[in-house]
Amino acid sequence: MNSILIFVSVSLILAILFLIFRIGILTNVLKGKSDQQVGSANTINAFLFVVVFVLGIIGFYLSFVHSSKYFLGEPASQHGVETDRLFWIIMSVLTLAFLVTNTMLYIFPFVYRYKEGKRALFYPDNHFIERIWTIIPAIVMTGFVYFGWLVWSDIMKPASDKAEVIEVMAKQFAWQVRYPGVSDNKLGAYHFRKIDATNEFGIDFNDEKSFDDFLPTELYLPKGKEVLLEIRARDVIHSVFLPHFRVKMDAVPGMPTKFRFVPTITTKEMRVKNGNPNFNYELVCTEICGRGHYAMRFPVVVVEQAEYDEWKKKQTPWAQLNAEYVAQKTTKELKEKYLKLNGLPVVAQPEMDSVKVDSTSNNLQALSVK
Amino acid sequence: METNSPEAFNMNPKKFLLWLFVVTIIMFFASLTSAYLVRSSDGDWLHFDLPSMFWISSGVIILSSLTMQLAYNAAAKNEFEKIKIYTIATLLLGIIFLYLQVKGWGQLYANKIYLGGKYSNPAGSFVYVLSLMHGFHLITGIIYLIIILLSAFKQSIHSGRILQIELCTTYWHFLDLLWIYLFVFLQLNN
Amino acid sequence: MASVDTLHVGSVSHGHDHDHDHDHDDLPWIRKYVFSEDHKYIAKQYLISGILWAVLGGLFSLIFRLQLGFPNADLTWLKPILGEWIQNGKLDPEFYLAMVTMHGTIMVFFVLTAGLSGTFSNFLIPLQIGARDMASGFLNMLSYWFFFASSVVMLISVFLKTGPASGGWVIYPPLSALPQAVTGSGMGMTLWLGAMALFIVSTLLGGLNYVTTVINLRTKGMTFSRLPLTIWAFFITAIIGLLSFPVLFAAALLLIFDRSLGTSFFLSEIYIGGEALHHEGGSPILFQHLFWFLGHPEVYIVLLPALGITSEIVATNSRKPIFGYKAMVFSIVAIAFLSFIVWAHHMFVTGMNPFLGTIFMVLTLIIAVPSAVKAFNYIATIWRGNIVFTPAMLFSIGLVSFFISGGLTGIVLGNAATDIQLHDTYFVVAHFHIVMGSASFFGMLAGVYHWFPKMFGRMLDDRLGYIHFWLTFIGVYLVFFPMHYMGIAGFPRRYYSWTGFDAFSYTGETNELGEAIIKFADMNQLITIAAIITFVAQFLFIFNFFYSMYRGRVASANPWKSNTLEWTTPVNPGHGNWPGEIPQVYRWPYDYSKPGAKDDFIPQTVPFSETPESNLPNEVDE
Repeated sequence: MNSILIFVSVSLILAILFLIFRIGILTNVLKGKSDQQVGSANTINAFLFVVVFVLGIIGFYLSFVHSSKYFLGEPASQHGVETDRLFWIIMSVLTLAFLVTNTMLYIFPFVYRYKEGKRALFYPDNHFIERIWTIIPAIVMTGFVYFGWLVWSDIMKPASDKAEVIEVMAKQFAWQVRYPGVSDNKLGAYHFRKIDATNEFGIDFNDEKSFDDFLPTELYLPKGKEVLLEIRARDVIHSVFLPHFRVKMDAVPGMPTKFRFVPTITTKEMRVKNGNPNFNYELVCTEICGRGHYAMRFPVVVVEQAEYDEWKKKQTPWAQLNAEYVAQKTTKELKEKYLKLNGLPVVAQPEMDSVKVDSTSNNLQALSVK
Repeated sequence: METNSPEAFNMNPKKFLLWLFVVTIIMFFASLTSAYLVRSSDGDWLHFDLPSMFWISSGVIILSSLTMQLAYNAAAKNEFEKIKIYTIATLLLGIIFLYLQVKGWGQLYANKIYLGGKYSNPAGSFVYVLSLMHGFHLITGIIYLIIILLSAFKQSIHSGRILQIELCTTYWHFLDLLWIYLFVFLQLNN
Repeated sequence: MASVDTLHVGSVSHGHDHDHDHDHDDLPWIRKYVFSEDHKYIAKQYLISGILWAVLGGLFSLIFRLQLGFPNADLTWLKPILGEWIQNGKLDPEFYLAMVTMHGTIMVFFVLTAGLSGTFSNFLIPLQIGARDMASGFLNMLSYWFFFASSVVMLISVFLKTGPASGGWVIYPPLSALPQAVTGSGMGMTLWLGAMALFIVSTLLGGLNYVTTVINLRTKGMTFSRLPLTIWAFFITAIIGLLSFPVLFAAALLLIFDRSLGTSFFLSEIYIGGEALHHEGGSPILFQHLFWFLGHPEVYIVLLPALGITSEIVATNSRKPIFGYKAMVFSIVAIAFLSFIVWAHHMFVTGMNPFLGTIFMVLTLIIAVPSAVKAFNYIATIWRGNIVFTPAMLFSIGLVSFFISGGLTGIVLGNAATDIQLHDTYFVVAHFHIVMGSASFFGMLAGVYHWFPKMFGRMLDDRLGYIHFWLTFIGVYLVFFPMHYMGIAGFPRRYYSWTGFDAFSYTGETNELGEAIIKFADMNQLITIAAIITFVAQFLFIFNFFYSMYRGRVASANPWKSNTLEWTTPVNPGHGNWPGEIPQVYRWPYDYSKPGAKDDFIPQTVPFSETPESNLPNEVDE
């Protein structure tokens, strides 16, 4: 019923509008206006440009003030400070250019609107002026490129050996992170064919280095230390985006990528800074990846170095949490060592006897500690 | 169309169209071959010998270019019988070329070089795709040849109306060169 | 200027009735009205197809704007139209992506490539260079019907049960290659690829014709330095298209092989749906390189014709010569050339070599220079003009405004360092919708308003045009300007909802009811409402268009007092365009308000010998 009413009223309104339109045309024809090319509408349009321009500038200012409190605030990384500064410097120059050109673009139509008997100025070119407005943008661009290059090459330079390496793996539709473990501080190998429902990373347990790797449910980062994210995806392209750190890098299946940065503000400090006691850093996906693209959230925590080390020590290696699974997947020689040190029963097999147990292996020591 | 103005470029529009078309085909194959180069530099690249049939088919297509040229020359000299004979020869050689390409794929397959699937490698897949795409263009050339042949039987190709066969000759030579380029490219990069 | 009536009487070449568009009485009906080879008729076919696609593309954007602006609204009322895609009053997230994808594809390719270039290159090239038709009317006709076939295939894909392609208009594999990843990558993607293959053939056939026609069929006296800037733009656009579309074809072809025949060009090391796929050694990034090698020139394929149209309209209605004709031509050529070597600026954060990133940043920012020259030249053209605000002129000024606003933000995005944060956020969405989408769309509308009298022999209604312009102009800014702020705040594109993230929702403020205020919820609502109003405003134009086609004021021969050749044809030119001989050209097309001249315009067909009072020292007939 309602929809019929709406339909009828909309049709009526349309019909009335059409009638007004028709009558307008007919009166114009009667007045003989139709041959006149430039009427009063010309002045109205010219004037509207000025009105729209003034309102537009006011709207621009107000909307900026309104929106700027929702921007991301102080960058929480070293390079973020640089990119933000560059961004706002470039934006200021651009806003200036925007205002200058648009002022001309909106005021000229009003000033130079059609007047009966007036002649436009025949002015086909002026090489001097053209050269000026070729050279000025060229110089400005050179500046932008130069500073952009400085910042860019600084961000993209290779990480040092001291960097904290953390692996970030994207899948539909979640993130997972892997830390290299406290004892060897090295990530174990992986292969996509080793992925299954339990081992979502495809960690290769034929590699001893993977025994102490742990997979926490939050991305912990130490303040003031170089962090190197080793990024990969296992199904489609995703993109690692840490908005507060100004970090973004695609996660590509089959082609691991990296991003190096230094977090500078702990979560606690940030909570004080923006007055939000519940503030948390977040990891976000920025490359369309399917149905759940908008829901790939992963919590990020930045802590002081000491707290970070403490936290790392408390983590249990994945291999220990899934001992049975690892026992099945590792090689015979490693299995023996692994089971023994994990306090699991070793099923004696004849060929096992020949295997020499190397009890100095770091990662196994680490396991035995826990 | 009036093309008498001195400012206009002095080439028949249809001929010019054909050359532009050739440019687009070049862009198409250039992008495929540069994809090949980019991909091969990423590593994990299978090295293998191209099928021997490709050598023979290359010979055949060069020969067909020759007969095509002879057909054109015959048209220029109004030798109607020769136009037909050489066009038919070109047509047959074109078909033989396609047949040999298919045989070549058979050789590749027997060599365990597959187009797709678990045991395929982009190195092999590219050979299939490049030769397939060339073959596809050659089929358009063959269709053009059939049209020429029909005109030849209607005696409507002669020195006064040479444009049609001239365009066909250009196109055919281009397809010949294109294959030689692809063949040499694959030979050098494999 | 030459009176139309005299030309009208002396029909020589064809000897038919010239009052109608399709004057080949000897042709069967189907060749006149369906498979016509007349460039003007084909142009109209393109235009009307383009308008239909624009309505559909706009409608799709409203569907996803509803979700973004009113995320809590009950959309059950859409169920009769969308069916299964509405569940519990909510839009399906996958269908949301499908709509985003189709909106992009339709607008970029079907509206702004086929609808813009297809319409105006076809319509204006022969008319403005003084040719009877395109070099090959047959190929031209084929070009339209390939486009039509492509449209049909794309349209069918929208109605699939699994939905149309939904991996974004850039169709990056593996997402677009694996139906397991998103259902739209099944049949929907297959049809998308099929439609694009047909579309590419159509564009190539069209482009071959445009280039050949401009080079071969110019009338006597029409040297390259006397070509209107429209023709320069169409000509360069066609060349870009010929060089870049084959590359997209190659990318699509390899993708088809990956999808259907199990090759591994773009796929590698994938575990999805509980199994590891066999693909190894492919490179998803290679696809992006191939795609953007077309993709970036495509931006200029869309934009350059609009700029060409604007040059012509701004000069005509300012009653002034275009400022810096040579600089304008040079910048078109420079932009076209540079457009081929900047593609990787779309890929700064794909893990590419940082040194390459630097190179592409430098090349990208060089483009700003010729673009700035163009913008300044437009402004210099209206400076001290005697401006007549026809609707076409309004839309052209709107275009210049968009070109500046959107172009400027491109400078931040083209800078690799600042792009890290902005890449794939709403800042990018704002940038390209203003500079490429809206600017080109305004170019298209300006063109329709300006050349409608030539197309249909009648005038569009001015007042509806004014209302249409102001609503659309303000609407576009209201829709896209706020997106910059959201982009600076980090909002990622192609998100169904942002409320899952504190970063994109928490404000710490509450409204008077004590409910938490969601970040930019007000902006999103504003955008959606503005988008709906802007969309509805387009129906003013569509009404005006179809109404005026039959009932509009009858046009005079040269309603805008323009210099170019098309206005020397009869009001309704027949096939062949000029009933008599093709007029000869003696001067450039921008002799407006020449000092000493009787009128404020001198058509290109007037020899210098007839205008001794206004000739410059070097101007004599050859």
